[in-house]
Amino acid sequence: MLSIKSLSFAFQHRPLFKEINFDLVPGKLVHLIGENGTGKSTFLSLIAGFRTPNEGSISYFNDKGEEVDDRRVYIEYLSAEANGLYTKMDATQNLTFWSKLRGHKYSTQQMVEELKKWGLGHPLVRTNFAVEKFSTGMKRRLALARLNLSACPCWLLDEPIYGLDTKGIDLFKSAILNHKESGGMAFIVSHDTYPLKELIDEKIEIGAK
Amino acid sequence: MIILDKKQLITGCIFFVMLMLAWYWSLFVVTTEEHQGDVYRIIYLHVPSVFTAFLSAFILLCMSILGLWKKSYKSVQVGLASAEVGLLFTFLGLATGSIWGKPTWGTWWTWDARLTTTFILALLYCGYILLWNSVQSNLMRIKVCSVLGIMIAANIPIIYKSVTWWRTLHQPPSIFRRGGSSMSPEILSLLLINIAIMLAIGIWLIIQRYKNITLGEDLEEESYLQIRQQEGG
Amino acid sequence: MNTIFKNQYYLILKHGIKMELADKERLISPILFATTMLILFAFGIGETSEDLIIKIFLAQTFLTLLFSLQITFARIFDPDEKDKVFQLLQCYPINHAAWFLGKYTLVILVGSLVLVPTMLLAGLLNHNPKAPLLTPEIFLIAFLALAGLASIGVLLSAMTLKASGREVLFPLIYFPLSTPVLLAAIQSSQVLLSGNNSDILWQWVGLLVCFDVIYVTLGILLFGELAGSE
Repeated sequence: MLSIKSLSFAFQHRPLFKEINFDLVPGKLVHLIGENGTGKSTFLSLIAGFRTPNEGSISYFNDKGEEVDDRRVYIEYLSAEANGLYTKMDATQNLTFWSKLRGHKYSTQQMVEELKKWGLGHPLVRTNFAVEKFSTGMKRRLALARLNLSACPCWLLDEPIYGLDTKGIDLFKSAILNHKESGGMAFIVSHDTYPLKELIDEKIEIGAK
Repeated sequence: MIILDKKQLITGCIFFVMLMLAWYWSLFVVTTEEHQGDVYRIIYLHVPSVFTAFLSAFILLCMSILGLWKKSYKSVQVGLASAEVGLLFTFLGLATGSIWGKPTWGTWWTWDARLTTTFILALLYCGYILLWNSVQSNLMRIKVCSVLGIMIAANIPIIYKSVTWWRTLHQPPSIFRRGGSSMSPEILSLLLINIAIMLAIGIWLIIQRYKNITLGEDLEEESYLQIRQQEGG
Repeated sequence: MNTIFKNQYYLILKHGIKMELADKERLISPILFATTMLILFAFGIGETSEDLIIKIFLAQTFLTLLFSLQITFARIFDPDEKDKVFQLLQCYPINHAAWFLGKYTLVILVGSLVLVPTMLLAGLLNHNPKAPLLTPEIFLIAFLALAGLASIGVLLSAMTLKASGREVLFPLIYFPLSTPVLLAAIQSSQVLLSGNNSDILWQWVGLLVCFDVIYVTLGILLFGELAGSE
C-alpha cells in the first residue's frame, strides 16, 4: 500500500495542490486527471522522490504491511517525454542493465520472451540495433518491457501509451492487468483515456480548487 | 514594498564610522615603519581584506555542510552571499598586495605563495557564483553548490601547501616578511583593530547580501502571485 | 550488502566500457586534441637549449594531459544524460559509492587511453641527450595525478549535469581545483629527471598522494548527495 498524508506542493511559488490524502491499495490503477499544468506529472515526481513535498508525507508499505525504507525498490517510474534508455545500446543490453541494477537475474531466455511479448523479439531488433534507431513506439515498448521486468509493486506511468499503436496499447493493457492481478498498483497520467477505460479503478483530480 | 531595517542601517553606519576612524589613525597618526616608509600603511587595508576573504571561505564551508545536512535553501543563499563578499575582499586583497608589491619587491606581481593562493581562491569564488546562477531548481542548488563549497574549502589548504612548497623550493625567501616579530606593538595593535573592524564589516555585508537575495526571490514570488491574481480575476 | 555493492560496481563499470566502445568518436577525440596541442606547443616553443628540455617537456606533457583529460571528464555522464537516463538511475536502488567508484574506474581507464599515447608522443617529440625522459617513475607520477583528477572530474561532471552552459562552467571550476596536482606532478618529475634531492621528491609525491586520498574520499562521500533523488 502507498499512503499519502496531507501532501502539499508549490512549484515556483505557485501552489499546485494542497492537503492531498490518498491510499493506493494493491490491485488498483488510479487515474490522475486535471487540465494541462495542474501538476499531474509533478505529483508523480513527488512520489518518485525527485522533488520534496512542502508538507505532508508519502509512505510505502509492502504486502505484509511493513513500511519500506527505500522507496527506490518500491517504485518504477516512466517519464512522459523520455524513456530512460541508453540510445547507443541495443534492446537486450538496455533491459539487462536495468534489471541487473535491481538485482534481478533473468536468463537470456526470459529476456527474449519479454521482448517477444512487446513485439521486439526479432533477433535483428533485439541485438543488432542501437535504440537510437528505434521508432517512437518501439522505444516506448522497450521502456514498458523494462517496467514489466522491474517487479516493483508500484508503477508511476506518465503518458505511457504515447506513441503506441493499437497493438501496442493492447499489449500495455494486458501488462497492466497482469500487474494488478499479482497485487501491483499504479498511478497513471494520460489524456488519452478511451483505450484505458476498463482498466481504471479510481480517479483523483489534481489541482481542484 | 520597501523594507528599511533601521537596526541594520545603524549598525552599518557605526561600522563605517569605525572604519573611517581606524583608517585615519592608520594613515596619519601611527608612526612610519623604518624599513619601508609610508608604503607599509597599506597593510592596514591589505591584511584585513585577506582575512575577511578567508573568513568568507570558512563561512562558505560551514554553510555548505549545513546545506547538505539539513537540506535547507537558506544555507546556500548565505553561501552565495559569502562567496560574493569573499570575492570582493579577495580582489581587494590582491589589488592592495599588488600595489604594495611594486615599491617593496619592485614588481606588480610576483608568484608569491600567498598571492598565488589568493588568486586561485578568487577564481574558485567566481566558479561558485557562476554555478549558483546556472542551476535553476532550489534543491539542485542546495546539493550542487554545497558540494562545490566543500570541495573549495578542502582544496584551499592543499593549494596553499603546494604553492608554499613551490615557492620556498625555487626562490630564496623574500627579504621582507610580512608580520613576524619585527612589528612594533603599536603597529600590531592597530592592525588587529583594523582586522576586527573589517571582519565585522564582512559579516555585516554577508548578512545584507543574504537579505537582498531573499528579498529578490520574495519579489519574484510576489510577481507570480500578481500574475495569478490577474489570470484569476 | 557487500555482494550488491560488488555486483553494481562491476555492472556500472562494464556498462560504461561498453558505452565508450559503442561511441568511438568520444574515445578518440581527446587523443586527437592532445596530439594537436603537443604539436602547437612544439611550434610555439621552437628550438630550446639543452638545459631547458626537461622543464619544457614536463610543462608540455602535463598541461596537455590536464586539458585533454578535462574533455574526457566533462563527458563522462553524457550517455546518462540523454533520454533522462540519469533521472531514472536516481530512482533505482543503486549503492552510491558503487556508482561513484564504477564511474571513477571508468574515467581512469578511459583517461589512461589519453595519458599513455600523449606521454609517448611527447617523449618522442622531445629528446634529451643526457637521460631518457620517459621513465617508469614519470608514468607512475602521471597516473597518481590522474587518480586525483579523475575524482574531481566525476564529481564536477555530475554537478554540472543540470547546469546551463556546462561546457564553460566545467573547465572554469576544474582548472583552479587541479592546480595542486599540476604543480606536484611537474615538480616531482622535474626533481626526478634532474636527479636532485630525494627529500623534495617525496614531499611532492606526498602532496600528490594526499590530494588523491582527499579527493577520492570526498568523491565517495559527496557523490551520493548529487545522485540521490532527494
